[in-house]
Amino acid sequence: MLVIINAFKSISRSKGRNILIGIIVLAIAASSCIALAIRNAADDAEAVGLESVSITGTISVDRQKLIEENGGGGRGDMSQMRELMERYKDLELDELLIYSDSAYVKDFNYSSSTALNATGELKAYGSEDNADNDSDNVFVSPEGGMVARGGGPGGGGGGMRGGRAIMVGRALTIGDFTVTGYSSEEAMTKFMNSTASIKEGEMFDIASDDMTCLISDVLAYTNGLSVGDSIVLANPNYDSDDEDIDENGDDEDIANEDNAEDNAYGENAGEYTFTIVGIYTDTSSGEVNDMPMFSTAQDPANLICVSYPSLSAVIENSIENEITGTDDWGTETTTALTDTLSSSFIFADKGDYDSFTEELTAKGLSEYYVLTSSNLNNYESSVIPLRNLSAFATTMLFIILAIGAVILVVINVFNIRERKYEVGVLTAIGIKKGKVAMQFVTELLCVTLSAIIIGTVVGAVISVPVSNNLLATQIERAEDEALNQAQSFGRPGGGPISFDGGGGGGRVMSFSSFGGGENERISYLETVNASVNLMILAQLILIGIGLTLVSSLAAVIFVMRYEPLKILANRA
Amino acid sequence: MNENYVTFTDVVREYRTGSVPVRAANGITFNLQKGKLNIIVGPSGAGKTTVLNILGGMDSATSGKVTVDGRDISRLSKREICTYRRDDVGFVFQFYNLIPNLTALENVELASQIRKDAFDPRTVLEDVGLGHRLGNFPAQLSGGEQQRVAIARAIAKNPKLLLCDEPTGALDYETGKSILQLLQDVCRIKGVTVVVITHNSAVMPIADRVIKIKSGKVKAILHNDNPTPVSDIEW
Repeated sequence: MLVIINAFKSISRSKGRNILIGIIVLAIAASSCIALAIRNAADDAEAVGLESVSITGTISVDRQKLIEENGGGGRGDMSQMRELMERYKDLELDELLIYSDSAYVKDFNYSSSTALNATGELKAYGSEDNADNDSDNVFVSPEGGMVARGGGPGGGGGGMRGGRAIMVGRALTIGDFTVTGYSSEEAMTKFMNSTASIKEGEMFDIASDDMTCLISDVLAYTNGLSVGDSIVLANPNYDSDDEDIDENGDDEDIANEDNAEDNAYGENAGEYTFTIVGIYTDTSSGEVNDMPMFSTAQDPANLICVSYPSLSAVIENSIENEITGTDDWGTETTTALTDTLSSSFIFADKGDYDSFTEELTAKGLSEYYVLTSSNLNNYESSVIPLRNLSAFATTMLFIILAIGAVILVVINVFNIRERKYEVGVLTAIGIKKGKVAMQFVTELLCVTLSAIIIGTVVGAVISVPVSNNLLATQIERAEDEALNQAQSFGRPGGGPISFDGGGGGGRVMSFSSFGGGENERISYLETVNASVNLMILAQLILIGIGLTLVSSLAAVIFVMRYEPLKILANRA
Repeated sequence: MNENYVTFTDVVREYRTGSVPVRAANGITFNLQKGKLNIIVGPSGAGKTTVLNILGGMDSATSGKVTVDGRDISRLSKREICTYRRDDVGFVFQFYNLIPNLTALENVELASQIRKDAFDPRTVLEDVGLGHRLGNFPAQLSGGEQQRVAIARAIAKNPKLLLCDEPTGALDYETGKSILQLLQDVCRIKGVTVVVITHNSAVMPIADRVIKIKSGKVKAILHNDNPTPVSDIEW
């Protein structure tokens, strides 16, 4: 009691000194508070990012493993290698669907592409010869294989059927157009990441096989097409050697005459009519033409987007009406369209991704297949700035605390030296050294604790906008992305609310981190503030107690060292 | 018992500074009566302050025996010596040694807080004639007034011994005299055993007993059955 009374008297009597100590502690507390707040905000933002970012992965053949299995990087047995590669092809859709039935997989989507030729008036963008003849531009590829360059209308396969022989089963690049069927909107990566967006018309029904399509604005412009028009595409595998260009697009197919009546999708077998429901702009289309193209189908402008059911209907039809034969070189040929499947598993977080990898092995997936993710690395690098910010704030915190502790100890040592005389008098009167030290510690504790409280208030006032700003930037970015995705599909992007009603089933997951709408978002921000402050308060109290203990230790040591006689004798 | 209230028996105090040990007290022997005013007199460096510090529990004897009220204080532990200082001794220093940021009253309270049967600080301050300066800080008081506060602080604890090291050394003639008068009054009225150190042999007549010290040894012990009132002496 006596100690406390004397401590308070002493504090009130030597205001200058205590204010000085107070200011230093206040500065330390405020800056620690801000550093802690930034750290928490960064961690929170990382958590938000973690929620909104989904990881996509694909199962593919581990070619590296195949090569290793075949005698490492050296000259292995090529035939054995081919055999292995033959055995371990990319997985079929039905297999993938089995694997995708997993608790770890949030979503599974896929798209399939095939190449179709233009018919009639329709011209692929970038066709070298837009004139109405079948001049085929043939050149020899470096490998020595014969490659057919997409020529004029109807001449996609060109005079050289050998075009397909580049790689059996990889007919994708041969043809005028790439027709891609998507299982869901998430599979339309260009639209998801906003490089492409619908300019006119609307999105096709992703679940129906109604043969509706999206075409690029470039293609629409080149051919004078608009929403509502129809385009007729042809199977490039039909032998077109004898085929002449027919102005009305009704070219007869000699080889397939008897099947023509069965074809519900075109007027002739191997012809399919699509209705244009929308025209999209692809901002990336201008950038990708550095590589030599074997076919106009590789030009993004010639990408025709359809639903997966539409595309599979086309392919099934082509298989039904298949004609097999042997070409001039003795290779077996078929007119059935082959498609290239590209699929992606979507995972909620990295943990699920890792678990799924294990599950795949458990489900019996061969070791020659591997689950890879391109955006996992992207995701991990995207959180690096946040982690850096957090680490930076932590480092700053420790520097502030170290410097602050040193300053406090030095001030206290000076303080006690200055009050040496007081210690001498008090102990000479008969007050125990322990009590004198206690009084000094009490004084310090009062000053530092009140300074910490003020410093926390100051720091909180400053740090709340700082951390909210950091958070808001993160959320805004994520929201913008969501908004852009919505606009890519030609839907009005009025904010998060509009997505819940307007979006398909797949949409919900993208916005799950933003709750139901505007109101929920606000309350979400508020909770962040509250938790930040509680955390900071607890941490700051610990810091304060730590600092006070460190600096009072100096005081106690000094008090204990003094002998009253020496102090008073020195003074006299 | 009264005769041997305080006894010094062959007390030696040796300071080791450098290679040559210095004996500040070299076999000091004397005794003091209870409730009397005692003066230790001698030239500078004779060992007066050493004797007072040993008596006050601020210093300890290298050898020899010191008793106060029958208790041997030369063999006490550090803790016990602190308690002895708190309960039995009131110290008055040459330079007052008041806490500058406490008022006159608070300085006295400091001493009375730590002692159970202490006197009321206000009353004590009134007794030393400072009833009107209770709330003043030491810097606002004159030298004489500060020394009065110091004396009040020492006697407020109701000590057995009131030890004064050159209490008038920093004061002028008149003020010094009034301080000596105060000490004599405290001795007479409160019955406290007072020990005053001075190098001024002119004040010897006011004491009941005078111990002359020179070069760490007691030269003479004078008994004075009729002490002169302070007002009658001059120097």
